[in-house]
Amino acid sequence: MASIKLKGDTSGELTIQAPSVAGTNTLNLPASSGTLATTAQASIGMKNLIINGDMRVAQRGTSASGITTYGYYTVDKMFTNLSLGTWTISQDTDVPSGQGFANSLKLDCTTSASLSASSQVGIDQRLEGQNLQHLKFGTANAESLTVSFWVKSNKTGTYTTEHFILDDSRSISNTFTINSADTWEKKTITVVGDTVGVIDNDNGPGMVIKIWLAAGSDWTSGTLNTSWSTRTNANVVSSSNVNIADSTSNYFNITGVQLEVGTEATPFEHRPYDMEYQRCLRYYQQEGHSLNGLAGPKTGPMGMWYSTSEVYGPIYFQTEMRAAPTISSPTVTSGYRFHRAGAATNMDNFATSFNTIDRISCYYRRASLSPTGVAGQACWTYFPEAGAKIIFDAEL
Amino acid sequence: MTYKLVNDMEGNLSSIKYTYDDGEFKIIPLDPANTDYQAYLEWIAEGNTPEEAD
Repeated sequence: MASIKLKGDTSGELTIQAPSVAGTNTLNLPASSGTLATTAQASIGMKNLIINGDMRVAQRGTSASGITTYGYYTVDKMFTNLSLGTWTISQDTDVPSGQGFANSLKLDCTTSASLSASSQVGIDQRLEGQNLQHLKFGTANAESLTVSFWVKSNKTGTYTTEHFILDDSRSISNTFTINSADTWEKKTITVVGDTVGVIDNDNGPGMVIKIWLAAGSDWTSGTLNTSWSTRTNANVVSSSNVNIADSTSNYFNITGVQLEVGTEATPFEHRPYDMEYQRCLRYYQQEGHSLNGLAGPKTGPMGMWYSTSEVYGPIYFQTEMRAAPTISSPTVTSGYRFHRAGAATNMDNFATSFNTIDRISCYYRRASLSPTGVAGQACWTYFPEAGAKIIFDAEL
Repeated sequence: MTYKLVNDMEGNLSSIKYTYDDGEFKIIPLDPANTDYQAYLEWIAEGNTPEEAD
């Protein structure tokens, strides 16, 4: 069996070996620089552990203004952790050229603020623990992780990333630099696996991947924690970290976020829209008027007149959710309607309560209805006005 | 804001109603994996008591 052996600068070596069979075979290598995938990598398909890393799904809307507190805004699965300044958060169409992206997430500062000790501005994604078991954290075989992403900002300087295992409160931080203002740059950060911290095999938050855009002294006053250890707030963020909230000229765009097993940042995994959308539905879904690109009034769940003034009905979720969801429905003048035999009952609120909520279904109750219906008859829900909707939230 | 217990059709505790100051509300399931239910349990642990169900 013939082979070629390439020796590295130190003790490493690589053997390229021909098969021990008759015949001539040709292996064509790509005419470009890059890294070849091998079977030694833990995952070649579905390699990106980040959901909606290309920022294409935005069920909550494409822009939210006046944001001053933490929460999920616009782009699905991207949690904005902020306590400083006022922001417009949007699903933007500014993307790095030639990478195949259509969207980015943008934070635009509309009211600036100085740091206080506890201040923070960041973007994170919380990953479900049962989806991270192949990382083998807490064992000697813990896998290295590489996170890569594209960023653009007017604010050049140092930023901090953090990998945070919630179950054991352990973390590791790294820094990256935005070198050129108003220019898309790709950043790559590799961390070794944590051989101590265990990620629970459940539907809770196993790991948080966070990018810090500003942090007060509560987070920066210690020594940056660049190896896995018990999380100490003062060691989480670099003391050189920028304050993205210090000017209303500041903005931060990000897209193409990928977290993968191994020490190489491979090209971004562009997944089909339906697959990415379905994954988002596990954590958040809604039904109602003009949602998810479907304009106009929409139909909703069926119901039954339990009495002349009260309706009950089942709701089946679009996909099984991570946990039983919190359910809400905003007040909209005549935004909700029960169609019944030969007439309709309009309402400003959909339900009085939701009951027996689990990961796949619940039932709703609507009391005090007027005009009244006929007990025993069926009805169906209609959302005739903009803003009328039912929200199911099972985010981490 | 207020927390209020919600019973199902059989009179069993089914969910928690959280009402905001502006009157809007959300219904929280009794699921330990739900982050709003976790917050409710923390509120209870601080010594607070929800309103009884109707």
